[in-house]
Parts: sequence; structure tokens; C-alpha cells
Amino acid sequence: MTEMNEAISRLLGPAEPEVGCDECFAKIDRYVERELAGADADAAIPGLRAHLGGCPACREEHESLRALVAGGAD
Amino acid sequence: MNTAAPTVQGVDTRPEALPQDVDWLRDLRATGVAYDEAVARLHALLLRAARFEVGRRRPTLPHLRGDELDDIAHEAADDALMSVLRRLDDFRGESKFTTWAYKFALLEAAVKLRKRAWQGREVPLEPESWTVFASGGLEPGAEVEQRELLAALQRAVAEELTPHQRHVLVALALNGVPIDVLADRLGTTRGALYKTLHDARRKLRSRLEDW
Repeated sequence: MTEMNEAISRLLGPAEPEVGCDECFAKIDRYVERELAGADADAAIPGLRAHLGGCPACREEHESLRALVAGGAD
Repeated sequence: MNTAAPTVQGVDTRPEALPQDVDWLRDLRATGVAYDEAVARLHALLLRAARFEVGRRRPTLPHLRGDELDDIAHEAADDALMSVLRRLDDFRGESKFTTWAYKFALLEAAVKLRKRAWQGREVPLEPESWTVFASGGLEPGAEVEQRELLAALQRAVAEELTPHQRHVLVALALNGVPIDVLADRLGTTRGALYKTLHDARRKLRSRLEDW
């Protein structure tokens, strides 16, 4: 994707329906465990993947939680 | 060990809480020594998560010393502990308790570090980065169409959005201001700001339907 396309994507955001930041935070733990288990997290929690595409802060926190849990932190 | 709930056609089928999660909830609702020990264990767990987040972001914060970063991790763990204890009834066993608790520490650490990174910096609410569109990076043959799309987008931003929507869109999507930082400066919440951003994006998409 070119720099211009990326910038246009950031402005227009996800095309599909998405949850908001509060709902994302409420469900991100369940989503990450489904992902790491190889289950269909997107079917279980619709709209969360789209939100991660449109919200850099939630995307960063998703990546951190996923990395932390995948690393066997518990 | 994989202890995540199995799914059947996308449906969460976890039948009951995990034994260790029952123990966490029992002890965090206890009194006396059992409660104190559980809180100490929880704080240690949250501090580990906060330090993990600090470690991930450390390269972006070269001006902060190691002890300053560890202070931030401790503050994040302290705040996350309060959040977890306050919201204990929100835990439904849909993930492991530790995964649920970690997200509070990661959030607190991330928010604090984003704010530190922007401390003393002005938050740009007007377009600074339209130039990114005018610069290179265009694929041959796509240039004319992309420039026309850009022009339509700029017109839509100017004509369709309220001043508040325009400021939020420009700050977040164009100028790269973190949403927590902007929420803090504008005295609002992350959720409310994202709703504004979402509404602005929907207007732009509607205007640009024909593209």
C-alpha cells in the first residue's frame, strides 16, 4: 500500500461495522484467548477486528496483550 | 497449557469458571490475611504486565531513564489494581482471570507512556500532514485518480464535518495524536472521541460513495 493509500485509509477508517473503544476493552481478553487457541475470534466477537483496524491505541493494546499471554506470562 | 474455552461454530461454550479463577475471586472477596495475600499476588501480576508494556515502548522513549520508566510501571500497576478490585463483578469467566486482569495494567501503562511522550507538546488540530498526500509514493497510472480522490476528500472534510469532528479527525487520523492524549487535552473520554471519529468517517465515506 502506498503512503497515500495508507493515509486515506486512516482518514476513512474501517468500511465494515465496528465496536467502540469501550466494548473493545471489555472483550479484548476473550478475543485474544480465542485467537491464541486457534478459534474463530472474529466470529465470536464481531466488529472487534474492524475496530482494531481503525483505532491505533486499541490495536497497540491488543498486540501487547496477545504478546504477553502468548509468552506464557501466567 | 491451552485453557481457553472451546468454541463450537463461534459460540463460547465455557461451562464454568476455571478452578484457579474461582480461587482468585474467593480470595479477593475474602478478608484478613487471605485478602491481603491475594492483593499482593495480584499487584505482582499487574506489575509484571505493566513492566512488559514499558519494555515494549522503551525504544520510543529514549529521554526517560530506567528508574523513571519503572516508576511509571509501578503507578500503572497501582492504578490497575484499583480498577480490577473495583470491577471484580464485571469478570464473567469468559477468559482466564489473569488475562482479564492483564488488560487493565497494559492499558494504564500504555496511557501513561503515551501522555509522557506528548508531555509539553502542542496537539495539532489543524491539517499539518496534507503534504503527505502531495508527496511521492504514488503508483504510476494511479496518480490522477488518487489526486482526484484526495481533492474530494479534502473538500468533504471541509464541507461535511463540524469543526469538532474536523479537529478530532485531523488530530487522530492525520497528525497521529494518540487518542488518550487528545481526550486528556479536550477533557473528554477515549470512547467519546472514537465515536466522534467514527461519525466523521461515516460522513466522509457517504460523501465519497461513488469512489
